[in-house]
Amino acid sequence: MTSASPIFDAAQNDVSFWLGEENVAIGDESTAISMAFETFLNDYFIPISRESIPYVRYHRLKEKWEAETAFLSSISDIVMHPAYQQIIGMGPVAIPLILREMSIKRGQWFWAMKAITNEDPVKPEQRGIVAEMSKAWLQWGKERGYIT
Amino acid sequence: MGKGARVYHLSRYWIETAFPFLTSSNYRITSPESPDYNCIAWAAGTDDRWWWPDSQYTAYWPDGVPREETLRAFIQAYSRAGYVPCDTSDFESGSEKIAIYTDENGKPTHAARQTQAGRWTSKLGHQEDIEHDRPDNLTGSYYGAVAIIMKRPCPCQPPV
Repeated sequence: MTSASPIFDAAQNDVSFWLGEENVAIGDESTAISMAFETFLNDYFIPISRESIPYVRYHRLKEKWEAETAFLSSISDIVMHPAYQQIIGMGPVAIPLILREMSIKRGQWFWAMKAITNEDPVKPEQRGIVAEMSKAWLQWGKERGYIT
Repeated sequence: MGKGARVYHLSRYWIETAFPFLTSSNYRITSPESPDYNCIAWAAGTDDRWWWPDSQYTAYWPDGVPREETLRAFIQAYSRAGYVPCDTSDFESGSEKIAIYTDENGKPTHAARQTQAGRWTSKLGHQEDIEHDRPDNLTGSYYGAVAIIMKRPCPCQPPV
């Protein structure tokens, strides 16, 4: 039987993981089941047919981008990920969605915001300081009415 | 099952899947995940900003160092912090060492720093910090291989 979840497939095939010693109170099987269930919920409630809704499309791309760049340090590799580029390709409709994301959880959204808006409210001395850069962009968004 | 325990377990699963040379016996997670700094900053001893020589100037990079993704530029950046190239990753009392990793094209991907206990500390992207036994625990498809080891007098040691 083929699983619809690549996560579950990976977990099943990774024999070394299952044989490894994990001195924790949670079983490996329950971890794999939890992950497969989350993937199932995602696939069930966000089918491809609903991807025309910007919010749905954005979230699907964001989840993919975050998962596949989680261990990367290279800004260029992070922003050149196809899902990130597709978010940029959504254009101005993505601006409030990105700003809302920034207000909840910080991340490398600055390249996308610069690309979409052709603006940069971040001062040179703030470069790399993710919290301050996010704050500058959120202020920018408020001043232009993208967020309240 | 507490949420914290579940997240911790999932993190270990993701880490060990991404880095096959890490096993439960040769590393441990030492911090929560953070989007505020990356491995390059962490190896340089800071955790307040993201270091990278990106062309759009969205990350910090030391002034005067070429903003290019080359090993030469990374060596230059760490030289500003007092590091010089050295031959071995073996622990030397009184020295602090770092390892710079590159991919198969020679592009830097990661940096790790040796602790005063002789182990190595790495920040994994925007995920957690880990402490691991050796620099080559992280070699593989994500970070490639160690390209150079650098060292400086340990900042914790009084000057002789």
